[in-house]
Amino acid sequence: MTESETVVQIRQLEDTDIGGITALDEKIGGEYRPEVWERRITYYLRRDPEALVVAEADGKVVGFMLGEVRSGDFGLEEPTGWIEVMGVDPDLRGKAIGRRLAERMLDHFQSQGASSVRTLVDETMTEITGFFGSLGFEPAPLRSFVKNL
Amino acid sequence: MSVTKTYLPKRFHQAVVKWQETYLPDFDFLLDNWDKYFPQDTRFELCAFREMGMCSEVECGDRKGKPKFQQAAEMEPQQGGHLLGALKAQASTEFGSIQQHQLTLARAQNEEEQFWILRMMAEELRHGYQMFHLLLEDDWSDVTDQSGPDMVEEILSMQTGSHILGAFNVDFDSFIDNVTFCALIDRVGKYQLSMQRISAYKPMAESMPQMLREEAFHLAAGVVPLRRWMEKAARDSVYITTNDIQKAINKWLPRGLEMFGDERGGGTNVRYGLKPMKNAEAQEQYYQEVGKVVRDLNMRFIRARLPELSLSEAESLLEKLLVDGGSSRGISWEELVHVPHREFFRRRGVPAFKMVGWAGEDFDDAEAYLRHLTRHLPDGYRAGRDFRDYAQMLRRVDSGELTGDEAGRTMPSLRRVGGVCPCSRAVRWVAEEPHGNGSGGNREARR
Ligand SMILES: CC(C)(COP(=O)(O)OP(=O)(O)OC[C@H]1O[C@@H](n2cnc3c(N)ncnc32)[C@H](O)[C@@H]1OP(=O)(O)O)[C@@H](O)C(=O)NCCC(=O)NCCS
Ligand SMILES: [Fe+2]
Ligand SMILES: [Fe+2]
Repeated sequence: MTESETVVQIRQLEDTDIGGITALDEKIGGEYRPEVWERRITYYLRRDPEALVVAEADGKVVGFMLGEVRSGDFGLEEPTGWIEVMGVDPDLRGKAIGRRLAERMLDHFQSQGASSVRTLVDETMTEITGFFGSLGFEPAPLRSFVKNL
Repeated sequence: MSVTKTYLPKRFHQAVVKWQETYLPDFDFLLDNWDKYFPQDTRFELCAFREMGMCSEVECGDRKGKPKFQQAAEMEPQQGGHLLGALKAQASTEFGSIQQHQLTLARAQNEEEQFWILRMMAEELRHGYQMFHLLLEDDWSDVTDQSGPDMVEEILSMQTGSHILGAFNVDFDSFIDNVTFCALIDRVGKYQLSMQRISAYKPMAESMPQMLREEAFHLAAGVVPLRRWMEKAARDSVYITTNDIQKAINKWLPRGLEMFGDERGGGTNVRYGLKPMKNAEAQEQYYQEVGKVVRDLNMRFIRARLPELSLSEAESLLEKLLVDGGSSRGISWEELVHVPHREFFRRRGVPAFKMVGWAGEDFDDAEAYLRHLTRHLPDGYRAGRDFRDYAQMLRRVDSGELTGDEAGRTMPSLRRVGGVCPCSRAVRWVAEEPHGNGSGGNREARR
């Protein structure tokens, strides 16, 4: 490893990461949404905090992944891991941060008795479909339907 | 990994329920309205959880690599005594915090925040229950003359004022305390639980994972309302000001730092394989982490006050304000929140009664120091008995009657004597006798 390369540590998410995740989301999406992340992270923290992972470099959050194991959704009775929200710092993409976050989360899902992991991806977002494809995810025959109200 | 669930023998379970009816009367309200705030979350249950499949070898200290202890009787009496002290102190904190939260729970302005605290209180009850499970499952007779039932009874009859650790003997004055306590004192709890997760006593280690999961939410139940209040304060809300939050931090942080025990101690716990870090090391990590919380609160404030700033502009402004003081772009240094000096307002450990000011300045006159404290502590707190006791002790130290160390150990506390009923409130005042410091920092409860 060259000296200029940053060391990225993967660890469990903590309440003190709310600010860092809000900042990273803003960098990715261009919008400052503190209330969204306060609510969302509190939700996940009270359900299965060990499932939640962040990537940290130089004291900054540079990646995160939120999800949990659920049973009973969409008629899937067996415990299933769901990857629901994620993001990697645009300046640090392609350095296996996303992969490392996913590996840690999948290990946890497995330890919780999940035999499969699922996620929902917008087909037009090739970056994300490409990412999950590389991780061994395959399209599943469960279709999402929507109706505007 | 799997988790096992157990219940205490019926009469002890009922004693905890009876205690809950007295000190956590809103418990039924919580369960009745659970789905409103926590839809799909597993419903709360009063039980003990043990994580299976954890490490079976001692993880630090003299016996590193040897099999963990399954029973107290396998330990050296001194080691067992140490563990029992920690276990009872832990149990006392769980019940103690419920009594404190109950004092001001009803004063919350926001129903969701109130409900979060209520859930947290129920989980603290489960934590206390978990510690009773450890006290009652095992035979501690090699370590103490006190029977299991007597230990349970002693803990259930403690009041704010008679708990083992200082932070749990301080009354709450407003809902700001409920929230600040979660953010600062439960954070110490997180450190203690994480350290005990490697305990050489396997039943203790196995008790920690579920407690830690719950603790993660307790911290959020503190930090998220604080963040929201900073945002409101930035918009000139008339309710909670940043100065109110600052004073609550000043009230609780010194007690939090002291929960790690004397800065010179903790080596025994490491040698015995009960915790991986000495007191000073864990305390330092905690202090840094509080710094991070406070910095985030300030960012929340600045961005709400000046939404036109970008993230990096807001960060630069914060740096400038912290370095230069004064004010910039309409925000003054005083409007932000700050971490008090680590020796400020201390009564135990190395800086006990040293008269160090909020910013680290030294005082040499007790009356001047007390006046300084009154400017930095919440009004309601200054009017209470904890501050009075502190002031009286400080004057005795200042006059040379006691050393800071002695004063720290002799702070009078209410201790229960006699009585067999779990809801007995019989207490009397006793002064603790000085005992050697440097070993742990948890005061052993004594009969
Ligand atoms: C998708 C994302 C998480 C990938 O993170 P990353 O750290 O760059 O990914 P990694 O470096 O770990 O890559 C892992 C694999 O995914 C593949 N991959 C990553 N980005 C890809 C892309 N844009 N197109 C195709 N494949 C891609 C990599 O090639 C790699 O495969 P390999 O190991 O076989 O070579 C990141 O780009 C991101 O955060 N995107 C935005 C996320 C978002 O919009 N979130 C909001 C909705 S939830
Ligand atoms: Fe607790
Ligand atoms: Fe807690």
